[in-house]
Amino acid sequence: MKITGKENKQWSRLGSRATYGQAILMLAEKLDDLMVLSADLGNSSGLDRFKATHPDKFLNIGIAEQNMIGVAAGLAKEGSVVFASSFAPFITMRAAEQVRMNMGYMDLNIKTVAIGSGVSMSFLGNSHFGLEDAAIMRSIPNMTVVSPADCAEIVKTVFAAAEYPHPMYIRLTGAVGFPVVYEDDYDFQIGKAVEIKLGTDVSIVATGSMVYESLEAAKILQEVGISVSVLNMHTIKPIDTNALDNLIHKGKIIFTIEEHSITGGLGSAVAEYVSSIPNSPVVNRIGLPDEFVITAEYRYILEKYGLVGSHIANTIKEKIKI
Amino acid sequence: MTNKEKYDQVFIDSFSITADQLNENLVYQSVQQWDSIGHMGMVAALEEAFDIMMETDDIIDFGSYNKGIELLAKYNVVI
Amino acid sequence: MNNNELTLLAKKSRVQLLELAFKSDGPSHLGGGLSMVEIFTVLYGNILNYDIKNPEWEKRDRFILSKGHGVLPFFIALHNAGFISQEVLYTYKKNESDLISHPVMNLELGMESSNGSLGHGLSMAVGISLALKKRNNFESRVFVVMGDGECNEGSVWEASMSAAHFKLDNLIAIVDYNKLQSDGNSETVMDIGLLEKKWESFGWDVISLDGHDIVALNDALSHNANNMKPRVIVAHTTKGKGVSFMENNNTWHHNRLTQTTFDQAIVELNL
Repeated sequence: MKITGKENKQWSRLGSRATYGQAILMLAEKLDDLMVLSADLGNSSGLDRFKATHPDKFLNIGIAEQNMIGVAAGLAKEGSVVFASSFAPFITMRAAEQVRMNMGYMDLNIKTVAIGSGVSMSFLGNSHFGLEDAAIMRSIPNMTVVSPADCAEIVKTVFAAAEYPHPMYIRLTGAVGFPVVYEDDYDFQIGKAVEIKLGTDVSIVATGSMVYESLEAAKILQEVGISVSVLNMHTIKPIDTNALDNLIHKGKIIFTIEEHSITGGLGSAVAEYVSSIPNSPVVNRIGLPDEFVITAEYRYILEKYGLVGSHIANTIKEKIKI
Repeated sequence: MTNKEKYDQVFIDSFSITADQLNENLVYQSVQQWDSIGHMGMVAALEEAFDIMMETDDIIDFGSYNKGIELLAKYNVVI
Repeated sequence: MNNNELTLLAKKSRVQLLELAFKSDGPSHLGGGLSMVEIFTVLYGNILNYDIKNPEWEKRDRFILSKGHGVLPFFIALHNAGFISQEVLYTYKKNESDLISHPVMNLELGMESSNGSLGHGLSMAVGISLALKKRNNFESRVFVVMGDGECNEGSVWEASMSAAHFKLDNLIAIVDYNKLQSDGNSETVMDIGLLEKKWESFGWDVISLDGHDIVALNDALSHNANNMKPRVIVAHTTKGKGVSFMENNNTWHHNRLTQTTFDQAIVELNL
């Protein structure tokens, strides 16, 4: 699925959820046996146009996420490609066991899409935040976990997911105005990290919304003579060990950055692998603390926990003792 | 292009409608493409066409073709 | 408070609610908040036993807003009751505030539990009701407000089944039956069928009433029926009640007021 910089800018204005809605609408033109499910969050998932255009491909299960996953399983088993969306905690925790049994244990071809993951739900608060969703999904065998870095990557992920005959958890961070990372088309493959920026002093591995913030941090650090590489690890599971081998080989300190708890997500996945290789560099995990977080505007929360470019740059400077 | 021509073209392009639909009946959700997504796209196109940035409240109040003309006057765009 | 006073308080509460939502300068769950104004007015104006000077008073009645996004009338009721000052009330939706879009447990402010994810409150209420009986507290009652969309959640029915099983006659649930949910008309999204009959079949004592009728609410809430059953009040309401352009208009499920719409609404409410 090719994208252009211009499209990406338009999608960026619409934001992550609306882009999912657009992507799945485009997919429906190409995929006959597509089923899209929601748990009374169709409008919130950007699906109103999809519902109107393809009513036969849409099912609203009402506020019943556990049932949604079970129903998705039945549909998938009978051959449909199924996408089911809701907020992160409701998919990964409310329906965790259904996810485990149907997607994990039975390896059924369901893609769950967590809209509003991370802390983008702002004033809706912790009940709605996705703080630990990647950690939980990662721990289930047979699960693939992808966190797109910008709206173009959301589109590419949706299209790639449709061709990928395995269960997948797609974690959407960002909101309206999700910043653009990719100004041009690029090669996207599930499981293959993308080297967005080369650098020689510090290695950043980021995912989702933090890819853009890492690039901002890299610009700031460049100005003080610190050269930072940024690797977009969109697929948290299975993690791209080849890409990590390259970083290990470079031997520079590694920072992982995610809009997710530092427990169990990208950082943990990277640390698990890197620590198994002798003489490997230190991995510093930057993310949300092991706490329920404050409630505020989205950007305010990110700043509070150091998850914006300038703060990330400061954290890195401190850690490498500049 | 006059301002009116630019304004009209945005509606025609954004919602795949024809010139004869550009009247007081053209309101939010009265045509299929003027849903929440279409609305954002139309606003973005108007902002680009007239080089303005609309305030959130105005974007919300922008419920019809006619209302839009009224609102744009706030940004010194006379249709 | 008598019924006339309650009616006036409900009217005043609607105005306070809109002012709060408008001043917060962002979207609020207005529709589903307005449908519950009478319910909250009667609960906090007449029914619930509480002591604002002693929010942890053992003999207090417990109230849980399981329909967590219904905070607007809840915060207004807590303010009018004296739990939340005007100053604190206006921290609603300010960065790092205690008052966000869903209740966060804080007994000082009058909030018994944290909610937001639907379908949790009734289970906790069952637990509290059991605990009260265990401790021989036969004065306190437990009240839970849920939404009809919320009744889509299976966990509600697990709790419902257990409440009847445990014969919790100190438990009252209220369903704000406004027949709309986030994606639209509830019958179209996920038809709940005959709601009263469902609760009845689960062993509850069911009262069906007009959720904006203060007299009826007062009567139904004042006591349980003494038949060893939990009671549910299925309150038929109108989402957006009180503001003509919001009534049954689901674009007001979660939306922000502009100066224009705020002014229009206030004019109507002051008539």
